[in-house]
Amino acid sequence: MTDGMSISDYLAQGGRLTSPANVPPRYRAELLRMMATFVDSELAGAAGFADLINAAPGIEERIAAARIVLEKTVHAQRVLRQMGEFGADTARYYTHHPWTARDKPGADAAPGRSEHDMRLSVFNYPLQGWTDAVVMNLLMGRAVVVQLGELAQVSYQPLAETFRGILPVETRHAELALEGVERLLQTEGIEAVQAAVTLWWPRVAASFGMDASDKFARVKAMGLRHTPNADLRAAWERETTGILAALGLKAA
Amino acid sequence: MSRFHDLEVTDIRKTTRDAVVVTLRPVNGAADHFDFVQGQYLTFRRDFDGEELRRSYSICSGMDDGVLQVGIKRVEGGAFSAWVNDELQVGEVLQAMPPMGRFHVPLDAAARGHYLGFAAGSGITPVLSIIRTTLRREPHASFTLVYANKGVNTIMFREELEDLKNAYLGRFNVIHVLGTDAQEIDLFTGRLTQGKCAELFRTGWVDVASADTAFICGPEPMMLDIAAALRDAGMADDRIRFELFASVQPGRLKQPPRAARVEATGKGTEITITLDGATRKVSADEGQSLLDTALANDIDAPFACRAGVCSTCRCRVIEGEVEMAVNHALEDYEVEKGYVLSCQSRPLTDRVRIDYDQ
Repeated sequence: MTDGMSISDYLAQGGRLTSPANVPPRYRAELLRMMATFVDSELAGAAGFADLINAAPGIEERIAAARIVLEKTVHAQRVLRQMGEFGADTARYYTHHPWTARDKPGADAAPGRSEHDMRLSVFNYPLQGWTDAVVMNLLMGRAVVVQLGELAQVSYQPLAETFRGILPVETRHAELALEGVERLLQTEGIEAVQAAVTLWWPRVAASFGMDASDKFARVKAMGLRHTPNADLRAAWERETTGILAALGLKAA
Repeated sequence: MSRFHDLEVTDIRKTTRDAVVVTLRPVNGAADHFDFVQGQYLTFRRDFDGEELRRSYSICSGMDDGVLQVGIKRVEGGAFSAWVNDELQVGEVLQAMPPMGRFHVPLDAAARGHYLGFAAGSGITPVLSIIRTTLRREPHASFTLVYANKGVNTIMFREELEDLKNAYLGRFNVIHVLGTDAQEIDLFTGRLTQGKCAELFRTGWVDVASADTAFICGPEPMMLDIAAALRDAGMADDRIRFELFASVQPGRLKQPPRAARVEATGKGTEITITLDGATRKVSADEGQSLLDTALANDIDAPFACRAGVCSTCRCRVIEGEVEMAVNHALEDYEVEKGYVLSCQSRPLTDRVRIDYDQ
């Protein structure tokens, strides 16, 4: 039982890693980067939406918004704890950056990644009012469901399990956003909602990342990724276009 | 960050010629930190010739056994496992971090679950903890263990497994697959390959269809083989749980070669950066961090927080000296080995060589 097999061969053949003690250095770095992207996006997403709780037009909406803020923060904490197992200082990680910071309205031509956190660029755009926030949550919520489906297959087993636990809750968030949009269509009218869809559609599409590259081949060989960004984006476009069509809305 | 606590050795018992079971008792206020879940492991640290070594070993006792025990098999060339097997004495105090690991599923006393375990050699340790805990906490559960070893005399916990069979008659079944020793049934001799697993499933020795979860712990090729056979037999991926063999942990690190110290002359610094097997030489602007130097030269170096707290940007200094402004993520023993946070480190010498692949 002393067959020699390199960790890279093992991973390339679908093997799973299970503890910080047995991950190779480059794997460790890419895994931490992946976890940081998730944590920062959840914290920034929750922080942005927290401000909108007071804008909720009714008690149902208020509860839904508060719940989404709470649960996204819990999800960030779960993944941050795993970063802690790799040595990250979790308390300082939370306080090292203002999660509420976003770009100013109007300065939003094409924000890239910020210098100091790893949130997806979509979380850098300011949320301008309730309709804006709910529509963003529907479009991005559906994107998160697709992206988490991919992340739940990650070869680091403890993280894959965490993502599998998070997925149904995030799916529910997208459902709550859908209910919110349905109400908005009655109260605000289709034009206001369509305008928000048109604004957010390309931003959310961009959150799937670049279509390149050798980078994907590298992380795929480590079992950290499985499906190319373009395929994930196409899946989201297909699914979300259908959801919008059922509401009488058009994808941008 | 997890902290180390003291554990006193209260018993050491040989389970085979080259494996021991060590019983531990938390002391000096550590009692609260060592509640564990079945299948978890402990990470120990000890100084060998001035270099700190860390090794993780799975807990083999069950949650209801009232003791904390780990099984440690001697690994060829392994400093820690040899020391435990040869020199460790009852009464000594070891240092370990609180239990970690998620090689378990939640248990439910009302469930009528059927579990499969696959282990090779010392891979039995976490699986034994799972078996003990599961059979005790789920009175209606059953467990089938397939256990691969070279021969009869290298089977760890042979007696304990027999005792479990007797204590849980009809609920626990163990199939020993032996590499060299002949057995009555041919199928149980040889290596535990994908083909052999498929045969065990096809002939009904192991019933995959009724199984809720499979736990696999052993060397990488064997785990891949077993997982492939389980998938072929219809088991979903999320029901197949892996735990990597402790022996795959990176071996002892060599000390980085220490180049003669060259003081910075202020003429700019030459930095040699290795990432993903490629090495490039670039020059750094004054005051620029190692990470920023890499990024400025289109080297896709890893980073996340840029604040010295997440450790994504960790690299190893092979030559030259750097100064790390802030470090909230690396521990002393990593720093001693030359690891730095590249987002926080600036060169002090004219030439610096760093490696992200180590």
